[in-house]
Amino acid sequence: MKKLRIFTFHFSHFTIEVLFTLLFGVAVLLFFGLAYPHHLHYQEQYQLFLFDSNYVREIVRLPGGVADLLGRFCTQFFLFAWVGALIIALLLTAVQLLTLQLFNVQRSRTEPSVALQSPFNVLSFVPSFLLWLFLLDEHALLGGVWAVLLTLLAIGGIMLLPKGWIRRIIILVAIPIVYWMVGPDWNGSHYHRYPTVFPTLLYAAWLSAIILPFIIRACHRWITVSNRSIVPFISLMVVAIGFGWLVWKNANFKAEKVMQYDFMACHQQWNRILQTINTEKPNNQIGVTVQNLALAMHGQLVNHLFDYNQNGILGLLPDVQSDATSPMPTAEAFYQLGMVYVAQRTVFEAQEAILDFQKSGRCYKRLAQTNLIIGSYEVARKYLIALQKTLFYREWANETLPLLGNEEAIAKHPEYGRLRQWVYKEDTYFSDHVTPEMLEDLYFSNTDNHLAYQYLMAYYMLTGDRERYTKLLQNTSNKQ
Amino acid sequence: MKRNTILPFYLFILLLFLAACTETVSDAKQEMLQPRIYPDYLGVSIPVNIAPLNFGMTDETALCIDAVITDSKGHNLHSQGDEAVDFDIDDWHTLLSQNCGDSLSVTVSAKYDDGWHTYRPFSIYVSPDSIDYGICYRLIEPGYEVWSKMGIYERDLSTFDERPLIENTQFEGCVNCHSFNRGNPADLSLHIRGPHGATLLRHDDSPLMAYNTKTDQTLGFCVYPYWHPSGRYIAYSTNATSQLFHSAHRNRIEVFDTASDLQVYDVEKNELLLSPLLKQDSIYETYPVFSADGRSLWFCAARALPEGSHQLDSLHYNLCRIDFDPATGTFGNQIETIIDAEAQHKSISFPRPSYDGRFLCYTLSDYGQFSIWHHEADLYLHDLSTGESYPMTGANSNDTESFHNWSTNSRWLVLSSRRDDGLFTRPYFCHVDAKGIVSKAFMLPQRHPRLFYRDRFFSFNAPDFIIRPTRFDGQKASRIINDESRKNFDVRQKE
Repeated sequence: MKKLRIFTFHFSHFTIEVLFTLLFGVAVLLFFGLAYPHHLHYQEQYQLFLFDSNYVREIVRLPGGVADLLGRFCTQFFLFAWVGALIIALLLTAVQLLTLQLFNVQRSRTEPSVALQSPFNVLSFVPSFLLWLFLLDEHALLGGVWAVLLTLLAIGGIMLLPKGWIRRIIILVAIPIVYWMVGPDWNGSHYHRYPTVFPTLLYAAWLSAIILPFIIRACHRWITVSNRSIVPFISLMVVAIGFGWLVWKNANFKAEKVMQYDFMACHQQWNRILQTINTEKPNNQIGVTVQNLALAMHGQLVNHLFDYNQNGILGLLPDVQSDATSPMPTAEAFYQLGMVYVAQRTVFEAQEAILDFQKSGRCYKRLAQTNLIIGSYEVARKYLIALQKTLFYREWANETLPLLGNEEAIAKHPEYGRLRQWVYKEDTYFSDHVTPEMLEDLYFSNTDNHLAYQYLMAYYMLTGDRERYTKLLQNTSNKQ
Repeated sequence: MKRNTILPFYLFILLLFLAACTETVSDAKQEMLQPRIYPDYLGVSIPVNIAPLNFGMTDETALCIDAVITDSKGHNLHSQGDEAVDFDIDDWHTLLSQNCGDSLSVTVSAKYDDGWHTYRPFSIYVSPDSIDYGICYRLIEPGYEVWSKMGIYERDLSTFDERPLIENTQFEGCVNCHSFNRGNPADLSLHIRGPHGATLLRHDDSPLMAYNTKTDQTLGFCVYPYWHPSGRYIAYSTNATSQLFHSAHRNRIEVFDTASDLQVYDVEKNELLLSPLLKQDSIYETYPVFSADGRSLWFCAARALPEGSHQLDSLHYNLCRIDFDPATGTFGNQIETIIDAEAQHKSISFPRPSYDGRFLCYTLSDYGQFSIWHHEADLYLHDLSTGESYPMTGANSNDTESFHNWSTNSRWLVLSSRRDDGLFTRPYFCHVDAKGIVSKAFMLPQRHPRLFYRDRFFSFNAPDFIIRPTRFDGQKASRIINDESRKNFDVRQKE
């Protein structure tokens, strides 16, 4: 009878803890899936995971390489935001469960009877919440979460071993191995894209996962909690509300909005862009650039230019900056306009600007396309063969490879054929700044280029150049 | 039970491994043509100490490739592989040493869906002229203005070993302009750009030191170094460089100077030696090199463009020279035009005199001085005894040939070429005999050449020979670079 009662108590407590863990996992899933999906897309586009032994070897040879590799492997799935959200939810839940296991391993030695019923178990959520906070930063790399997880696995595994010389030997052997798997390398990966940024939250999560079990053990010695069935619930609420508030407060929803525009432009979701700008007019540079491109793609740029926020001529085709993010929507506009060499340069530079020296599936794909359009088939082939080693770009690469050198097929292709018709016929020099002459050359070299026409008209409208606006309008009317 | 299950699995894997293209060439169809292989090693001349010339079929539908190399004495070397042949490195070197000054015959067979095909053999000539220990180059993506990962690397030419000297993961910035004194890394100049900009100098194997080469009497930082044969001087140029990009041209980028001057650095006295003749506002002077005897300074010079002009196709660089007295560190009083490329509406870049004083190799392009981005650029050889210039037909291709350097015995030239795919620069080597006859160029050998060059998204930039490992401590160098302390170049005051 007594045994049964204990079992019932443990079962109910266990159920509550499982419920807490499940709730946490679902919260993470919903947050990244609903509120932060474009941060995941952003992460995916600044890496290129290759199923290639050289690629793997180059990563794992460095300290932290295993964690880094696992992080990169998982990040490739962020192309699909809900899959990415699920991966993060599973990883953070695993960190919480392993931390909890460490609590219990610590206590079961001293107080076996209370191992599963401590009010302090709720603190096992702290490392996961810290990792959640860490992942709010779009430059935080998932390898960091894997580093914490692998460390916990290693410690948990060692703690399960009986004390003795075998355990000591295993600890000695494990230390360098764990360092090789997760140790940060300041010349390589340190789990943040910015080489000069110290990922404080990641280290706080890592340290808390290791130190908290010892603190809990000390607490159990010094603190007596009278009502153990209520305290866990209250303490969970405190931790959940506290960290939940912190997560919401630190989430960068402005950046999420910008990333959404970039994502929509990347995937050429012109209808969705129009729906979005009609709901909320963008007021950031990337949003305005994408808005104008979508309007032009629908032939509405000239008529509806001033229905939306504008940013002068910089809202049309902003000056190219030397970072990895801001040039991408502009590059999309260059590409769609037929300024293929300009788009190629912009995308190449953006990829080169990725701070942790990674490559980008999005950039490789676009560089393959631009090289294909300009007829640099061997260079296009190089990018396509690299993309064949990926999980999600392989199919596209396989479909595109037969086009190389096939002039007839390229001419018939709805996108490449059109852009080949629209490219500059006369060579000129360009730099970081788009001039009206560049748009004029583009339009007058092929007056079927309705996008160039709209951009040129918009340029005159935004600069108040009535004379050239009227002249172009008359020119077009005469043609009709 | 478990063992019984696993053992057949391992045996199966082993059989698969052994079955991976280890077949006897049988019932082969005899082809009248020579094989099309990648890299193209047909009829090349190679140094006796070069790494194995592994290759595959250009046609990637081949299921298996087999090669037998035979010599006139009856020795042979065999290799077979799925993607490429991979000759045993020791056997390869033994065979080459046994055939110094003689030709080898290579018989290639390839297996396709319809069976084996055996091609007409081709020859490889083993030159008795050896090549230096290795080459040193920068690996960088062929981009525009922004750079990602890059570094300076050395490669042992008798093996496939490559080692980084320094990479930009070790500091914030970029590395370029590496130079050794006639391939001897005891004398080294290495330029760092970016927030930790510096020029690292090592003279006679002394410890590395970081210098600030910019002075108030010169245009900017010293670049394009070239060591005086004595090791006492380094010729540099200072260039105000800009870039523009083509909107519809095969040549993607134009790199050009809006001002440039020359100066010589006296390593022993830490002084820059200036001459008004080498810093004229109306002339762009660049790419200085010392002659083999050290008594001339050769360089490229063009009439300056009017301020703000972008008529880059009117920039034509001639090859010029000025006397230099190594004893006093003084320059001559006049500049002599050696090759008037402007008269041909052409432009010269990267002059490199052979160390035996016989030839000067240069790049000829349509205009400008940065021929690296010019697809029409070719190499030319200038015979210093006759004053005649002619194209190095054996070494040139339909695509860009640009930067180049001589081996220390002046018999081999390493050259950069974009012929492989039109964008990514690869190092090639050609032999130049005492009469100036140039052999067909061959690509830097790799163990798995196609996979290596296809997977590598880097250009081999500014390759230069080295006579031994550089023994360059990258960690120490990065500490020096990251430390802000710099020694300033002084300028010699007029006497």
